Amino acid sequence: MSKTDDTQTATTAGTGAGTDLSSIRVDDPIVEIRNASVTFDMERGESRVLDEVSLDIERDEILGIVGESGSGKSMFASALLDAIVNPGVLTGDVTYHPQGDAEVDVLGLSPEQLRELRWEEISMVFQGAQSSFNPTITIRAHFEETIEAHNYNMEQAMAHARELLSDLYMDPDRVLDSYPHELSGGMQQRTLIALSLVLEPNVLVMDEPTAALDLLMQRSILSLLEDLQEKYDLSIVFITHDLPLVAGLADRLAVMYAFEFVEIGPASDLIGNPTHPYTRALLKAVPNLDTPLSEMRPIDGMAPDPVDVPQGCSYHPRCPLADETCRAEDPTYHDVTSDHQSACFHWEDSAEAIPLSTDGEHGETQAFAGEQSDEPVVSLEDVDVHFDQVSDGGLLSVFQEPDTVHAVDDISLDVYENDVVTLVGESGCGKTTLGKAVIGAQRPTDGTVAYRGQDIWEAKDSRRETDIPYEHIRRSLQMIHQDPGSSLNPNRKVAASLKAPLKRWEPDMDPDDRQERILSLLEYVGMSPPGDYAQRYPHQLSGGEKQRVALIRALLMNPDVILADEAVSALDVSLRVEVMDLMLELQDLFDTSYVFISHNLSNARYFSGKAGGRIGVMYLGELVEIGPAEQIINDPQHPYTKVLRWSTADLDIEETVEDPPLRGIDIPDPVDPPSGCRFHTRCPEAREACTRAQPTLDGHDDGTEHRTACFREYDESHEYWESEPIVDDADDADVAVGGSDSDARTDE
Amino acid sequence: MINNYYIERTAQAVFTVFAVVTMTFGMIRLMPGGPVSYIRSQLVQQQGNQVDMEQVNALVEVYTNVAPDEPLYIQYIDYMAALLQGDLGVSMFYNDPVTEILASAAPWTVFVMSISLVLTFGLGITLGAVMAYIEGSRFDVSTTLVSIFLNSIPYYVMAIILVYVLGYQFNWFPTGGRISSDVATGMNLAFLQSAFYHAALPIASLVITGFGIQALAMRGNSIRVLGEDYIRVARLRGLPPHDIALRYVGRNAILPMYTGMMIAIGFMFGGSVILEEIFAYPGIGYYMFRGIMARDYPLMMGAFLIITIAVVVGIYVADLTYGKLDPRAGSGGGNREAY
Ligand code: SF4
Ligand code: SF4
Repeated sequence: MSKTDDTQTATTAGTGAGTDLSSIRVDDPIVEIRNASVTFDMERGESRVLDEVSLDIERDEILGIVGESGSGKSMFASALLDAIVNPGVLTGDVTYHPQGDAEVDVLGLSPEQLRELRWEEISMVFQGAQSSFNPTITIRAHFEETIEAHNYNMEQAMAHARELLSDLYMDPDRVLDSYPHELSGGMQQRTLIALSLVLEPNVLVMDEPTAALDLLMQRSILSLLEDLQEKYDLSIVFITHDLPLVAGLADRLAVMYAFEFVEIGPASDLIGNPTHPYTRALLKAVPNLDTPLSEMRPIDGMAPDPVDVPQGCSYHPRCPLADETCRAEDPTYHDVTSDHQSACFHWEDSAEAIPLSTDGEHGETQAFAGEQSDEPVVSLEDVDVHFDQVSDGGLLSVFQEPDTVHAVDDISLDVYENDVVTLVGESGCGKTTLGKAVIGAQRPTDGTVAYRGQDIWEAKDSRRETDIPYEHIRRSLQMIHQDPGSSLNPNRKVAASLKAPLKRWEPDMDPDDRQERILSLLEYVGMSPPGDYAQRYPHQLSGGEKQRVALIRALLMNPDVILADEAVSALDVSLRVEVMDLMLELQDLFDTSYVFISHNLSNARYFSGKAGGRIGVMYLGELVEIGPAEQIINDPQHPYTKVLRWSTADLDIEETVEDPPLRGIDIPDPVDPPSGCRFHTRCPEAREACTRAQPTLDGHDDGTEHRTACFREYDESHEYWESEPIVDDADDADVAVGGSDSDARTDE
Repeated sequence: MINNYYIERTAQAVFTVFAVVTMTFGMIRLMPGGPVSYIRSQLVQQQGNQVDMEQVNALVEVYTNVAPDEPLYIQYIDYMAALLQGDLGVSMFYNDPVTEILASAAPWTVFVMSISLVLTFGLGITLGAVMAYIEGSRFDVSTTLVSIFLNSIPYYVMAIILVYVLGYQFNWFPTGGRISSDVATGMNLAFLQSAFYHAALPIASLVITGFGIQALAMRGNSIRVLGEDYIRVARLRGLPPHDIALRYVGRNAILPMYTGMMIAIGFMFGGSVILEEIFAYPGIGYYMFRGIMARDYPLMMGAFLIITIAVVVGIYVADLTYGKLDPRAGSGGGNREAY
């Protein structure tokens, strides 16, 4: 760590990078970062994962830091607490201003002073909450040891902890007495936030705090964060890869590319008038609900390697505006307005070169829809999938009543040729199980799954010849996984992995033809030269490339239906659109249908919308709404779909984060689903009738494709309209959200 | 859920013991050249050819609690009933009740084994933790080498070397017995000293050959735990280093070693047969060995039974305490997100 004694010069420093820092200063900074660099010595050379970064964090602001993975944003977070992990070396200055004129040179502190600064003044929340807790001690112990280590008054601090936990809509006693693994992911993350605030710090640094969670949970946490920020006068640094997610939350945004900030400005300016080519590209690449489908576009090229950042502007290899100056010189910050900076020579031209339309006009998007058949390819009728959950397989568990998880409950669904059906819902809603049932990879406990009229499981079980042999069915229904790596044999070259299915299904094919076919497909999906890629092993491919190979492999079987389970979720944001496009193009070519599973409504809309397909919304094992993609997105009927719609952040900056249209944050236990309409425990529209009777998709046939399982769709004669609204018991913190007293934060 | 876990483990333990007892019964009854023919041949040797079958059977019953002329299920019930009353029959070789012999031997075996166990794990865990904290240092590298080397020596080879060098060559340690003959039994200092003095070599041979693998396991676990996010978070939260070392690293690194400890319990008791013979240390293993050599079936079976029960109980206790130490045990693993 650098022992700089020239803290005072920090404010005037910055000549080293050749950047004029006066422009990025704010009026009342709580933390100032000047020329901060992090370097690692690697065999290949020095790896610079944070490159001369300077930034001010204003008191009581929410600063959103946006960057793709590997852009250095986590390093920036660690730098604020001087917590870079060995052997990384941090240089530069970090100055903390507790109050008034006081200054603390963070990098010059003694270990004991640093220990006090962390958590008492500047605190941090990490991604993966599960791994941030010691699995063998209770949550209470985590709080108590933290309080003790900092010599705070135990009683007061614990009272504060309880208050924080209930601020975050949890039952303090229950949470404190739990072990980490007993809490759901969303609860763990909220508990971690409470733990980071227990010593009442002034600054909270959050590194992808919600990345591992469902969108709905992410948004709920965000809306709670806003309340916390108000209540406890926090300055929050929120680091994420998800620009739309923070757009509504943050006061200011800073976009990171290749280990430095390329654009900084007030959130509304930055979204409304992005000037850096990368920011614009990022906005186009991220699937969201407002940008017209025809305008979304992947960013070409790859993010640079930290050992070998391009000369001049680090974005020039991917930038459409790059010219000689860009290749030779590193751009400094240019003032767009007095508080909006862009590190680009040609920022004034970027709007023209990379047009963005933010005025929600939806273009014509029927790009890929093929001819759909009248007869379904796969047809599910009243399918149930129930799992028995036994604690563990000991001798006596035989006598134990197993818990039954209703993963899929009484769902009927038809998939046609050239169809695209996207299933969305929170994790644990049964969408993957339903998907597997569709392709015959999961045996239903009740109901039938038929492939072109032939019951799949009958074909499997029966010894007699069936109309369509089971082998044929298996081959026609394929699957690609979320993690493409897991479906490719790591010890086999790409060519060998791709040949295997061809050999098996078309043994008569000439080896040369086979080779030819594989190479042309590789070429087609953009992996060229194909001969080179065919000879690689999976570990030599990037995530996107692996997913392409997995896709080709599934397509080589000439399947009728492909189940794509979160197939793009693991990819970087800018790659998602690209891979989805490819999948749709290939659909056209191969005449297949997709069942696409996603927790993300934007991806669902992009995928289904572009192909003119449907979106099905699942909640606790039931299909609650299904219909054409654009209708589901633009005119959701079911209260739960509306919630999901709410959770999918818009780029619309005017809309601040509001309270969720939801009465409870956490999903009920699928072992014991609520009676009547399963959503009634969280539904803002729930009435007394909803607790007794169960609405169905077909209860009110109005003849359209868009069907909704909610009593609000039923006509006036239904008892729902007569019954009393459900009022929440105010004591039950776990359920009550709607009645929270937080008003929407006003932009100061 | 928790209660079920305990009931399950208890049932498993009881069932294992029951199965072993039944097996023992089957062995006595069915083994060719089993005790019945053994006693008969003894009598034939003594009395010539006029062996009265009744007399043989009576003798067999005295020694083994099994009356050969009864139907099989009665024999089984008799045998079980006798066992439940703590009657393991009478040793043919020593002509004393087996229960008495083993009761006097058991504390000594337990004494040696428990000290060995504590030392092996104490030493292993401490060393392993230190090695992990200064990973890559010279101490770490050399200790790793020594650990691997010592672990590759079988304990009985070490025992023979120790007894030969330190016992016979240098006469520093006794080569047999559990206490000196001139020390009175009782809880006095001289007695304890003598007991430790006599137990030193058996313990040493187990510990020297056993601690290495535990140290390496602990080292590996600790290094893994040290890389966990929660250690980093704990440091940022400003917890004192010794808290992190004990409650975070120590606890999470030791937990996975519990299985190793269970295996070690079984291994050590099993090993006591050869070990106690080498050191002529009259514990259970020693008597079992004698029983085998002399074809003294009741003694053999009794010792076998006791060793099995000891192992089962050891594992049972470890299992129960594991449930106390690791909150995740027995809760079904929390794989709710799997579907
Ligand atoms: S400086 Fe040049 S290369 Fe860099 S972003 Fe601007 S136009 Fe593109
Ligand atoms: S049926 Fe009732 S509880 Fe269910 S979604 Fe409709 S209004 Fe809400």
